[in-house]
Amino acid sequence: MPSILPGMRSDRLFNWAVLSALSILVLLLVLLVISLIAITDLHLFVGSLLSDEVRFAICLSLITATISTLLAVIIAIPVAYAVSRFRFPGKDIVDSLLDLPIVLPPVALGAALLIFFNTPVGGFIDKQVIRFSFAVPGIVLAQVAVVTALAVRLLKSTFDGIDPRYEHVSRTLGCNKFRAFIKVTLPLARNGLVSATIITWARAVGEFGATMMLAGATFMKTETLPIAIALSLGSADVNKAIALIFILIIIAMIALFIMRKVMHGSYNL
Amino acid sequence: MIRIRHLTIQQGNFTLSIPHLDITKGTYFVILGHTGSGKTVFLEAIAGLRLLQAGEVWINGENATLLAPEKRKVGYVPQDYVLFPFLNVYENIAFGLKEVNCRCLNVEEQVKRYSQLLGIPHLLSRSVSALSGGEKQRVALARALVLSPKVLLLDEPLSNLDLQTAKHLRLELKRIHQELKVTIIHVTHNQLEAEEIADQIAVISHGKIEQVGRPEEVFFYPENAAVSDFIGKPNILNCDNCKSVGQGLVEVECGGLHIIVPHDEDTPVTRIAIFPRDIYISDIPFPGPSVNRFRGVLTEIMPRGDEVEIGLKVDGQILRSEVSISVLNDLGLVIGKDIYLMLKLRRIKIY
Repeated sequence: MPSILPGMRSDRLFNWAVLSALSILVLLLVLLVISLIAITDLHLFVGSLLSDEVRFAICLSLITATISTLLAVIIAIPVAYAVSRFRFPGKDIVDSLLDLPIVLPPVALGAALLIFFNTPVGGFIDKQVIRFSFAVPGIVLAQVAVVTALAVRLLKSTFDGIDPRYEHVSRTLGCNKFRAFIKVTLPLARNGLVSATIITWARAVGEFGATMMLAGATFMKTETLPIAIALSLGSADVNKAIALIFILIIIAMIALFIMRKVMHGSYNL
Repeated sequence: MIRIRHLTIQQGNFTLSIPHLDITKGTYFVILGHTGSGKTVFLEAIAGLRLLQAGEVWINGENATLLAPEKRKVGYVPQDYVLFPFLNVYENIAFGLKEVNCRCLNVEEQVKRYSQLLGIPHLLSRSVSALSGGEKQRVALARALVLSPKVLLLDEPLSNLDLQTAKHLRLELKRIHQELKVTIIHVTHNQLEAEEIADQIAVISHGKIEQVGRPEEVFFYPENAAVSDFIGKPNILNCDNCKSVGQGLVEVECGGLHIIVPHDEDTPVTRIAIFPRDIYISDIPFPGPSVNRFRGVLTEIMPRGDEVEIGLKVDGQILRSEVSISVLNDLGLVIGKDIYLMLKLRRIKIY
């Protein structure tokens, strides 16, 4: 005899609705990958993958993303800690300001940076200190400008989730504020820190708009993976574009896999 | 000695204000109060973890008001113990020793000594996530005590433990206090815990200390309405015909009631007191010997929040007991109903 629970019909409808949404999204992603595979000429694909231009783009992307991630995380750790732990007048405004690069289109951010380097102060830095506009350091700066806000947001959530009493106890055990942060807060934040770093790095690898504006899209000079995709499509080299897209997909999958592994061992705070 | 002078801490709408408090060196001092009364804020003020709006905190003759927490030599065990999850038990206990980096202290020897004192040497290599509540509490105590603090601050240390473990650890805390002679400030909302463990009790309510005294002073001579509201009023019975029945017990006659009372002195007992919470009631006779077991009639039911105070007429005496609303409903208590009651022997006090 079938069992009947009150509200079972409405429960089924709800389950059907949410699972349908999930299926549509998964199907869309699978279809995208299948369409890329279907259109690819394997011989040309391998050739593109081994070309100097693609290898240059991979190396440039990995190096610049790693440098910008390191810089972004180094900046984000103290900023996120300050926003998470301290109360000060105007904190809401500062908090909103820090989120600005997340909601602002990267193209606008890149354009703002380019305009800055055309001001007297920016021009002096660009000419006398480090050349950012239409040069490799510009890629790093554009990526840092875009991903630091993301790193701050992710790390703030991590610090918010750490009970301040851990620091309190460590203070009574002989740590000053800095030692408490290094010896207790950072180890407690380890998993959040690693996953924030991975997400930030993956986002930096895929950064396009701000990089395009500040560093330009110069062949074999400022040609990161996303810029190489744009240049390939611009010159109707679809196979090269597909090879580059697959490389970005593989990088993203590795990043997500590592992140899941790290999150699996998180502390219950 | 801990000396508090004109202490004021403001936190939103809440103010902790303690004009004057002295805690003698080596005392087991319990701060007793409801949740939100300011107990934890007070502990954190002594530890240097709170910004003071005004006042001074003196620890063993030194003005500690402006000292950083790490300079105060204060041991702190927060509620839930807050053990470092990324370190094992040994590393948790050794954390402070490594941090102060004192050459006079051998880390391994000290960890061994305090783990033995707390009865946890077998746990040293374990992960803290694999410990029970009682074991965590012992590790947190060892971690705080290993630096030989001038004062040990315990924030509701027994509140997350089952009754048996809490009872056992109360005795352990008392033993450790006697052995190390360290000043302990222990905050709790549990009156039984405070009464059993404290040398001195301070009752705190709405950020103010209402009364300080020995447990019997606080429980039987409340100085104001705030204290008596929190502690509750004991049943006080005049008695005579006191006669010894051996084993540190005497039998007294209170009206028509013959009550066995713990008392091993020669002086006669003329008045006894028992709190309503220490009178158990049932709708059927209690099993076992008929010591301090009586039959009475329910005369009054007075709701008090989640609990109900009931009046019982027993052999001409009126006694008050406390039950939860669920017990009241389960027993189907109505005025005029016959009730069996039992006085908890060890909770009867000579007044």
